[in-house]
Amino acid sequence: MLGTLLALVERRRTAVLVGAAVLVAAAITLPLWGMTLVSTQYPDGLRMVVYPAHIRGDISEINTLNHYIGMTPISDAFFSELRLLPAALGAIALAALVAALIRRAWATVPPLVLMAALAAYGMNAMHHRLYQFGHDLNPHAAIHIAPFTPPMLGQNQIAQFATYCYFSWGTILPLVAGVLLALVLAADLRDARRAPPALGPAARKLAAA
Amino acid sequence: MKGLSGMSHARVIALAIAAGGLAACGGVKPQLAGQRQMATGDVQHAALATYVKPGDLDKYYLFYSGGHSGQVFVAGVPSMRHIATIPVFAPYPGTGYGFDEESRKMLGDFTWGDVHHPALSKTDGDYDGRWLFVNDNANNRLARIDLRDMKTKQILGPIPNTMGNHGSSMVTNNTEYALVATRFSVPLDGQYAPLEEYKTKYHGAVTGIRVDPKDGTMSVGWQIMTPPFDWDLGATGKGPSDGWAFWTSYNSEEAVGKLEVNASQKDRDYIAVVNWKAAEQAAKEGKTFDVGGTKMIDPAKVPGVMYLLPCGKSPHGVDVDPSGQWVICSGKLQPTSTVFSFEKIQQAIAKRDFKGDEAGIPVIEYDDTEIMEVPVGLGPLHTQFDGKGYAYTSLYVESAIAKWKLPPYAKGTDPKSLVVDKIPVQFNIGHLVTAEGDTRHPRGDWLVAMNKMSRGRHLNVGPSIPESSQLIDITGQKMNMVYESFTEPEPHFAQLVRAEVIKPIEFYPKAESKDPNAIWQPSEARVVRDAAHHTVEGKIYAIRSYYEPQRIQVQAGDTVILHITNAEQQRDEIHGFAVTSFDRNVVIDPGETKTVKFVARTSGVYPYYCTNFCSALHQEMQGYLEVVPPGRAMALYHNGQGVALSAPESAVADAR
Repeated sequence: MLGTLLALVERRRTAVLVGAAVLVAAAITLPLWGMTLVSTQYPDGLRMVVYPAHIRGDISEINTLNHYIGMTPISDAFFSELRLLPAALGAIALAALVAALIRRAWATVPPLVLMAALAAYGMNAMHHRLYQFGHDLNPHAAIHIAPFTPPMLGQNQIAQFATYCYFSWGTILPLVAGVLLALVLAADLRDARRAPPALGPAARKLAAA
Repeated sequence: MKGLSGMSHARVIALAIAAGGLAACGGVKPQLAGQRQMATGDVQHAALATYVKPGDLDKYYLFYSGGHSGQVFVAGVPSMRHIATIPVFAPYPGTGYGFDEESRKMLGDFTWGDVHHPALSKTDGDYDGRWLFVNDNANNRLARIDLRDMKTKQILGPIPNTMGNHGSSMVTNNTEYALVATRFSVPLDGQYAPLEEYKTKYHGAVTGIRVDPKDGTMSVGWQIMTPPFDWDLGATGKGPSDGWAFWTSYNSEEAVGKLEVNASQKDRDYIAVVNWKAAEQAAKEGKTFDVGGTKMIDPAKVPGVMYLLPCGKSPHGVDVDPSGQWVICSGKLQPTSTVFSFEKIQQAIAKRDFKGDEAGIPVIEYDDTEIMEVPVGLGPLHTQFDGKGYAYTSLYVESAIAKWKLPPYAKGTDPKSLVVDKIPVQFNIGHLVTAEGDTRHPRGDWLVAMNKMSRGRHLNVGPSIPESSQLIDITGQKMNMVYESFTEPEPHFAQLVRAEVIKPIEFYPKAESKDPNAIWQPSEARVVRDAAHHTVEGKIYAIRSYYEPQRIQVQAGDTVILHITNAEQQRDEIHGFAVTSFDRNVVIDPGETKTVKFVARTSGVYPYYCTNFCSALHQEMQGYLEVVPPGRAMALYHNGQGVALSAPESAVADAR
């Protein structure tokens, strides 16, 4: 499996790196994560879709319902950490592009590290926010429910609502880009193991002569 | 005049009495009175054809006139389920109509109306789903319902020189006009003249109500003065007859008193044949005289605007077939429907083939324009079409519907052979409606018979009983009755239109709100008192499940004006606002702002609450109107006036 993937990537490393940059850049405009709430009276579901720059969907209706259990209203402002996201994704895309231009094994490392850091930070922030939403409930609310943390992925039940959470293209594309970067790095490292110690361009010219 | 006396007057009346007697006879089970027996297979077919299972939608909207209820009823076909009532001429607390300032102003001092003939707006002769026009026979008005939100948007009237707006509302091919004719003739401009001067001082009128093509706003365009006949019902031309309109009349005898007899003396009455485009042109050229500010055309002085065409005695309906070539008129006291050729009418006009005049209006020669007298049956009232070459005429006296063939006819056709099917209805049908039956492209699948009598075909509800409507499948050669339902009094005519033509909104989008008093945050709620003018004005915010503010203070004697915004953006999250003891209930749809106004005369505490069930905590959606006696401090205001801020009584609400 890994061997096949490496073989595929091997001869097109520059293109693969450019592709990874494009995928990451594209993610800036795409939704990261979503939650759909379905109940008998909302058969088509209520949607909350989180983008890098804002939140979309039936937010006012979700807030109207949530106020009964004393949940903090959801707004663009609330996910303040998301504001960093476009810039961070832009930086990763740029780093991947730089790696494509330089074409050295080490150059693939910075975008990969940045990506891993961002993923870790994002997951943690998301978990924190979901925890906060489910726990920071107004004690004066009309309906008292046990504090909860909605799962980041998959199905759950909150009162009459079945909730379905999913990662969307804004998360999936950078993940794919991350895999591509890792494959290029792996291919580069394998070459390094097989070939004599790295020759610079000048040394390679000499060797050819 | 040939053939018009196909059945003697006396015989028709005798049969009418016999038919009435049969239905009224206590010993005869109504189910047996002339009903086709349904075999088990037919019952199964009918059940499947009309059953709309839970969650599924009907294929057609049926817009019924509500008669003297003053409203419009909306039902679905084929289920025949009543879905909604659109209030027009009478208050309707269910939707708060007639309680907020806007609808109160539209209704004026009237509390009811008599809705007879709804007409959908048209583009190129087909329904375009924009507006529904309905007439008020009682108080001489015309109303427009916007189908985008199914709300009454304008009530025009009373229309001048019109008493009993019955011959209305007939919409022209591209909704240039909604046409109106007065049923009763009276002296012009609301003047008095004794009934002895009926023939000289009394006049009828037909009116062109202009419809603004952009927003549908109606205004009186022009009127045509007529002899003092009683104008009954009309139709507009289409295709070759576009630009023309037709109305039936009764009482061409110009009699007063007992019209049942006095207006039935002549063997024929008239159809008005009106060139409305010529009338429009005449008004534009100033060929009018002024009657209390209305541009009145005297057809005797402006040739080419109006003609009279004799037809069967005491007609009700005059109808134009989908091709626009055939004009069909049925005299209630004749057992026939007469088919006129529009082309021949035009030829007669061009050749000046007239047989005298009435008050200077040329009378077109009957024999030269009539194509056929079709022996449809007793008491023919109104005709609709299926677009497949057939006409359907309601027979009041016979309590049946006749299906008959439209021209062209081969030479020497036996008129009797033209009637291809007849179906009894229960009982005494007035109008009928076929799917898009008055457009250029009828659908030819459904027909609804609107019967004037139900005579206990439903569970006994005492002496005040509903009307019956029956659904008939007209896809086959034979008509097939499949369902019946009962409606409140009293549908006259209806419009049956494919569901996809009508595209209503689900709620009022916040972005479209133009009301300067709309508010979208609880923090924007304000109550301001103007002590000098004894007025309190407030902007109230309503959402599940509270109002902001939850208390309003006024002084006894203050005029209270409250603008309530329903800040919801979710379908069916409708909130009410009723103030106990003040006879006010407004119902505000999601995204809508309504204004309620009243005088708080008597001091006391009057709770206000949500009337339209909205949520699990709907019952808790309430507040208090404190009407403070004079001299008592008003704690919410500084020195009794200025801006009152409601105390943040709900931390949850405040957080929003």
